[in-house]
Amino acid sequence: MYGRPAQISVRVALAILAAVVAGACGTTQSATPKTYTGTLTFASFNPFTGPDASFGPEMAAGCITASNLINQSGGLLGHQTECIAVDTRGDPADAVPAAQKMLATNPNLVGMNGPSSDEALATVPIINRAHIAMFADSGQAAFDKSTFEYFYRLTPPDDAAGVAMAIYAFNKGYRRGAAVFGNDLSSQGNVPNLLSAFKKLGGQIVLNQTLTLDQTSYRTEVQALIAAKPDVIFTEADPQTDAAYLSQLKQLGSLIPVVGTQPTVQPPWLTAVGGAIGNDNLAKYFAAAQPYAPSAGPAWDAYNTALLASASQIPQPDQWSQDPYSETDYDAINIMALAMAMAKTPDPTFYNQYIPKVVASASGATEVHSYKEGIDAIKAGKTIQYVGPGGPVVFDQYRNSTGAFELVGYASDGTNPHLATISAADVEKYRS
Amino acid sequence: MQQLIPAIGFGLITASILAIAAVGFTLQFSVTNILNLAYGDIMTACAFAAYLANHAGVNIWICLVIAALFGAVFSMVLNRYVYFQFVRRGTRLFAMIIVTIAVSLIIQNVLLAIFRPTFFSYRADAGSSYHFGSMVFTASQLAIMVIAVLAMLCVHVLFTQTKLGKAMRATATNPSLARSCGIATDRVIDVAWLLSGALCGIAGVVLVLNTATFSEVTGAGFLVPIIAAAVLGGIGQPYGAMLGAITIGLAGEISAALISPAYKGVAAFAILILVLLVRPQGILSEVADAKEVAA
Repeated sequence: MYGRPAQISVRVALAILAAVVAGACGTTQSATPKTYTGTLTFASFNPFTGPDASFGPEMAAGCITASNLINQSGGLLGHQTECIAVDTRGDPADAVPAAQKMLATNPNLVGMNGPSSDEALATVPIINRAHIAMFADSGQAAFDKSTFEYFYRLTPPDDAAGVAMAIYAFNKGYRRGAAVFGNDLSSQGNVPNLLSAFKKLGGQIVLNQTLTLDQTSYRTEVQALIAAKPDVIFTEADPQTDAAYLSQLKQLGSLIPVVGTQPTVQPPWLTAVGGAIGNDNLAKYFAAAQPYAPSAGPAWDAYNTALLASASQIPQPDQWSQDPYSETDYDAINIMALAMAMAKTPDPTFYNQYIPKVVASASGATEVHSYKEGIDAIKAGKTIQYVGPGGPVVFDQYRNSTGAFELVGYASDGTNPHLATISAADVEKYRS
Repeated sequence: MQQLIPAIGFGLITASILAIAAVGFTLQFSVTNILNLAYGDIMTACAFAAYLANHAGVNIWICLVIAALFGAVFSMVLNRYVYFQFVRRGTRLFAMIIVTIAVSLIIQNVLLAIFRPTFFSYRADAGSSYHFGSMVFTASQLAIMVIAVLAMLCVHVLFTQTKLGKAMRATATNPSLARSCGIATDRVIDVAWLLSGALCGIAGVVLVLNTATFSEVTGAGFLVPIIAAAVLGGIGQPYGAMLGAITIGLAGEISAALISPAYKGVAAFAILILVLLVRPQGILSEVADAKEVAA
């Protein structure tokens, strides 16, 4: 993401080639489950450094919280659990060896969260071939019809986020939109459907800018933006890029409403942009679309209590209290753990088929909101439907579960007040 | 086309920051023959030094001086206790580059450990906007350009009007001969690191004033344009670095205005490659020739 497109394309090509080669050298399922001794490992496979370094801690917060609650509930099939952080650096060239190392050095690895959009194309084949269940936070549309049997996704694809942004802006009365997105894979994934949805709604895209990331100046780009006279900016770029861009817009003209994607709700983006344009301006002009998680009810209470109690392992845990990705990452660990309990083994090749059953809305199923409730119900011989803080999970045939979006703002106390909800049906209506 | 004149103005701001950084980078290289790839990270460290002072209530322009002093001392100490230890063992240019990369990573990760992975901003107002035709500058941008011009003038006076400058030029051209002529080359090298570090510190602060925020990798991200400006001008040539900075700074903004912002990074480096194809030693080539670097 640091302005090295040509280099990235070669490295990505090599990484994908390595992934295909590694993928072709996998193992096949044995007749009996593998035996595990000691602590079972879940991985948070995401960027912990690099431009998307905020993704990893967000994911780890969910994993650690779930693992702690599993351990407090007596463990999983007689094992304690742990979460490890595997840093992909947000770059396929780093992520492929990181995946290979993770698989080679963690014999008790039973499931994982990730990968993100930055490295999913290169690493999903490797992880799938190793028969490790993965709950990706990748928003790439390439996985909308995934055929990887160990791939699951609880959050909407990036192109759906673009539609939600367009609907919100149109409903707010904005008719002249400017798309200002970074030239990285993750950001660009939002653009096509944002443009088409805003046009379908009756709006006009007056400018579509692709920003080279982390430049010292965006004044020429800002000048072009001012000349196009938009009434709203749609954006996703890394924190430093958006901070420089918006601060230079403030210098050269005046700020206008900004609608961002979920990464713009994360603390590094808010810190950078708030520092650059002032927190008052951020509160006045900013909104962002993120997957909707109710952040209320018994499942969220259990999650939030455990999260806040994990301050020794999770810095500033309250920042993840209402984070939909942390919540769904927490759900993912619980779903895998309950699937293991149903399959009576932590071996992914055996428990993988139980994952959809953990969340299925079967008739007579007992709704459970935590691992503890789930394990008790399973022990009592009941059929369960897990509904966690991320809300009900409804997998389609491609193991994707997409839901509604919410638009949040920024308050001077650092919280993100709810502004609007965009239903899954509305998103689907305007999605290409 | 309507955006061309403002883009030239914006390019001048980028060129100013780049010129301060590139002259510091190339000045040190010309005298010591060490291609210091940790230069961007020293800029970041200086930006953090200024940040700490700024958030302790010190005015940003005094922080600029603090950053310059910090950069000067940091660079000299880095040379004395790290780089020079390798030089005196006869480590060659390529191996020294690897050493500087190692130092770069160490600085980056120490900053990350101290300041954590987040973003920082100075408490500084950009000031009022001033219009010069269709060019627009804020007060702080005008200040950045004035600082750049003053720094370039000081470097010019140092090189042409002082004994120290002549000693530096002599050391840059032929250190053995300079030593034979009675020049205390070790002291000259120390001064080169001090001056380079001071310019590095100033560049770090003005860079952050321009980008509004920074993190532990901000300076490293700026290293490639710095090297490009230095190489374009003829590495080891302070005047060449100034010329290179103006070319790179203007090319980026003009290409963003006339072609597309997506090609901003490409245009400047395309020019670099074209110039080097025609003139491999860079625009001004005296020291580059002597050190056989550009060829």
